[in-house]
Amino acid sequence: MGLEALFDPAFAASLPRFITPILLAALGGALCERAGVFNIALEGFVLVGAFSAVLGAYFFGSAAMGALTAVFGGVLMGLIFAEFHLRRPGDPIVVSIALNLLAAGLTTYLLRAIFDVAGAFRDPAIVGFEPIHIPLVAAIPLVGPVLSGQSALFYVALGAAVFMHVFFARHRLGLRLRAAGENPAALVAGGVSPERVRLWALVLCGALCGLAGAQLSIANVNLFVENMSAGRGWIAVVAVLLTRGRPLPLLAIVCLFGFVDSLSFRVQGLGWPQQFTDMMPYVATLAVLVVLSWWRLRRSA
Amino acid sequence: MSVLDSTPPVRGLTPWIGVLVWILAILFVLMLAAGAPFGGALEGFLSGAFGGRRFAYLMTTLSRATLIVGMALAVMLSFRAGLFNIGGEGQLVLGGLVAALVGVYLPGPPLLVVAAGILAGMAAGAAWAVLAGVLQLYVGVPLLVGSLLLNYPARYLASYVVGHPLRDVASGLPQSHLVPVEAWLPFFPGTRLDIGILFVVAAAVFAIVYSHTTVHGYRARMTGHSAPFAEASGLPVRRLALQTLAMSGAIAGLVGAIAVFGIHHRYIDGMLVQPLYAWTGIVAVLLVKMIPWAVPLSGFFFAALQTGAAGMERAAGVPKELAITMQAVIILFVASRLTGLHFGGGAGEGGRPGEGGDGT
Amino acid sequence: MRVELSDITVRFGDLTAVDRVSLDFRSGEVHALVGENGAGKTTVMNALFGLVRSASGSIAVDGETCRWASPQDAIARGLGMVHQHFMLQDSMTVLENIVLCNEPTGRFGFVDFRAARAHMAEVATAYGIEVDLDATVGALSLGQRQVVEILKVLYRHADMLILDEPTAVLTPQEKDRLFGVLRNFRRDGKAIVLITHKLDEVMELADRVSVMRGGRLISSAPVAETTKTAIARDIVGGELPAEIARAERAPGAVVLSVDGLTVRSRGRTVGPISFDVRAGEIVGVAGVSGNGQAELVQALTGLRRAHGGSVRLAGRPLDGLDVGARRARGMSYIPEDRQRVGLALEARVSENAAIGRMDQPGFRRGPFRIRSAMNRFAAELIARYRIKVAGPEARAATMSGGNKQKLVVGRELSRDTPLVVVENPTWGVDIGAIEFIHSELVRMRDAGHAILMVSTELDEVLALSDRILVLYEGRISGEVARAEADRTAVGQLMVSHGPSAAEIAA
Repeated sequence: MGLEALFDPAFAASLPRFITPILLAALGGALCERAGVFNIALEGFVLVGAFSAVLGAYFFGSAAMGALTAVFGGVLMGLIFAEFHLRRPGDPIVVSIALNLLAAGLTTYLLRAIFDVAGAFRDPAIVGFEPIHIPLVAAIPLVGPVLSGQSALFYVALGAAVFMHVFFARHRLGLRLRAAGENPAALVAGGVSPERVRLWALVLCGALCGLAGAQLSIANVNLFVENMSAGRGWIAVVAVLLTRGRPLPLLAIVCLFGFVDSLSFRVQGLGWPQQFTDMMPYVATLAVLVVLSWWRLRRSA
Repeated sequence: MSVLDSTPPVRGLTPWIGVLVWILAILFVLMLAAGAPFGGALEGFLSGAFGGRRFAYLMTTLSRATLIVGMALAVMLSFRAGLFNIGGEGQLVLGGLVAALVGVYLPGPPLLVVAAGILAGMAAGAAWAVLAGVLQLYVGVPLLVGSLLLNYPARYLASYVVGHPLRDVASGLPQSHLVPVEAWLPFFPGTRLDIGILFVVAAAVFAIVYSHTTVHGYRARMTGHSAPFAEASGLPVRRLALQTLAMSGAIAGLVGAIAVFGIHHRYIDGMLVQPLYAWTGIVAVLLVKMIPWAVPLSGFFFAALQTGAAGMERAAGVPKELAITMQAVIILFVASRLTGLHFGGGAGEGGRPGEGGDGT
Repeated sequence: MRVELSDITVRFGDLTAVDRVSLDFRSGEVHALVGENGAGKTTVMNALFGLVRSASGSIAVDGETCRWASPQDAIARGLGMVHQHFMLQDSMTVLENIVLCNEPTGRFGFVDFRAARAHMAEVATAYGIEVDLDATVGALSLGQRQVVEILKVLYRHADMLILDEPTAVLTPQEKDRLFGVLRNFRRDGKAIVLITHKLDEVMELADRVSVMRGGRLISSAPVAETTKTAIARDIVGGELPAEIARAERAPGAVVLSVDGLTVRSRGRTVGPISFDVRAGEIVGVAGVSGNGQAELVQALTGLRRAHGGSVRLAGRPLDGLDVGARRARGMSYIPEDRQRVGLALEARVSENAAIGRMDQPGFRRGPFRIRSAMNRFAAELIARYRIKVAGPEARAATMSGGNKQKLVVGRELSRDTPLVVVENPTWGVDIGAIEFIHSELVRMRDAGHAILMVSTELDEVLALSDRILVLYEGRISGEVARAEADRTAVGQLMVSHGPSAAEIAA
């Protein structure tokens, strides 16, 4: 094996497949983090998004409709979170654990109830996203295959990261979100309900996580597998915690995760047992987490 | 500002009736979605959880409850000490794997093999939990995330070990060889229930006595209520945390060992992950607000829910995943009604507008 | 503008926080609202501002009855409030803080910062206030933050300004500047309400003073027609407390010796700090909050690692020891935050009382704790420190602030250690508890214990200390003996490095 094997165009082209879902979910998590909602149910949000996307893509026969239903499913999860954490005094960790479990149970249950299959559902009627080829960009060496020929959701994710940076800095809701996370009493004193602001954070988070799920089920592949979020929501949670919800560092760290993740996908061809390549994203995330936490701890001491 | 709405929690049954109605309504809708006949489903549920020929299904429920209660006890010890160890799955898996390897490969008298297997499993579980604790205390990785992420390496490592180097190739499945029959935990006479449940009963007694009467349990709980308080009072908070995690992980490892020696008699890939034992254990603890004596009851309840759902699937074709879904629904409604179940920082003095803050 | 409150009553559950209070505020007048903690001053103003809903009573602005659903309605009618705890976002700039909740928006909800900046420039020139709109609030001094709070109110065109304990965090000099600004507002015809418990401020600035006690309005009169003594008597409802008696005694041997202690926290350095505390004296540490007090206390108690220097307790070095070991060597600690650090609110009183005593004989038998011993000990503390609570088995959260604090004080003082480190011991407790806690601290001093008391309440430091150290920017800016201590001298040291700082550094 040689290093060139890792840096061929196919490898570059596979990067966005890993980055997109984690980035979208992490951006959703960032909204909650900045608004002071401790949402560690991203895993469940993404899973519901993935399932809803397949529902939409199958029944309406279009990827766009799949994305729309995915957003709908994600928003629904956000609303449930809001109902039990904002309107009722449920602890966010408890609500998160319950919602992750709910997503795992409900998607499997509905998979069997609606499609009468267990494990995985694949069907030609599921219409997924087609890659978008950008003529000039595609020709650029190295970056070309990354930036061209990806699903629409990849571009949405990149745009969302940049937009969110501006949103937090200059948008009314962005400003209020930050205030809700930092000193909500100031919002109350100004006559703005922090709860309402947080509701918006959860709704938008649900929408983004829904899209993350759509990327998994109708862009990366055209099928739904039980528990197909497979820990990506948790990796997104780690990314959010590490960057404290700042969109641009978030983008950077997710790219790092994605790079390691696709690396592992790549080395699978080198004869490693599959379990090790499966393990790689988590070990890589843990390693980044350990290094950065340790560095932070030393700096603050 | 809903200051005036903040009446003290109503004592009585009325709010719980509302909760029950909601839960049943959701159950109804889900069953409707699966197009199941209700009468048959209910019958199937009851017989699946408590019935069967010579109560065979009740024994299955008890067997499952053994694992769930064990995991719940492990979680309870951590949670009461304010340690959000949600890595029970990894601790359980490694405990089971190590126990199985000892059971298969350690020569010697069966009793010794079982004892060594169980102890090794407990040690493995404890080590994995302590690792998450060390990451939090000495590296700054939040336990919540650290313990969770450690689940995955454990899961895939176990999967690799029984899938490649130590696989029972002849069986054609990713699983270890069988533990020698002599080292299997015996059944209670006349039943298909192994004596593993006795280990969990012992663990429950230990956990209850520990929580209520020991100095260590008291100190751990004070740390759980407020870590800054414990620290400022001079308690050895780091040592308490690591010791508590070790106990918690050891119980999880014990559960893995019981599953191996009592139920499956080998390590099968996914056998401890797929049924979501660890998560169900967490849910069982949250349902009863971490009250030690109630944890076994709550664990049994969820075990019955799961085996009952399996019965419902056999009788009426309702997918058994209904159980997991309903677990989540129950915990959502119940946990959001229970006050005082807060992990994300204590209630502050400025909880309401008004001077003085803390009442009269 | 004229604002009238009639018969306002506010209840929190069973507690009547404000009981049929009627007040009257008008333009061009500074109206002081005084009373001890818990008298209902802030609550009645929160009701006026729409933050708290009143159970009965009415509010009229210029003769027109108003009911507001939220503070935004009150703001729209020209009311503005500067809260005791700043309602600011530390990570945001001054301008972002000012527009928050009242943002001028352009297309798609994006904030038009240019319009806001132009408007602020107008306001600032009108009142002669200078401020850097692009500074981050977290980097500002407390005095500057107060200015930001006032600008927030002005930005919303308020005609009436309610200030809740505005001088609590200010140095005497910053206070003078604030009062100058408030006089400008009065001249400008704004109505000003000043919530305070400092009578000197009332006499200095106010035109009218209203006294509240136990949720009721006790008196309301023009300042010119009343006296300080009369107001003070209305506040406490009876005779004034006698000054705490203290024994004349020469300080004994050095108990705590701090030499060149430095602590690093979040990129800044506190120290080097050197001082001694002797047996039988109270050494007060004064200073504006955030000048290194927390770091100093944490380094002494072992909650934070010191970066350099050494600490000795009764001659033995403490360096490198953890909290438990330091306490075992003869140190007790009364933390300022009783809700999180002083107590475990969800635990029982007995469990809170016996914390840290489990290694003493009588409290444990092997690995088991002796519950009856814990209860007995808690009952002793309850009786000895006159703590009002249902009993040793009650949850700590059921006690009032003053009683919680008495439990913490009692638990720590009853350890009878040579050194007691005390941090803001009377923050937010009622007057009875303040007196009791102060007399207990003096009693400990008289009995020959060394007490280090860190407090941001200057009056408390002046009243109790034998010697006063002043912290400024992480170092001791000066030391004042009890005999020569006065507000101005200490106040000066709170904002500048005094001459002795050079000596210490040398």
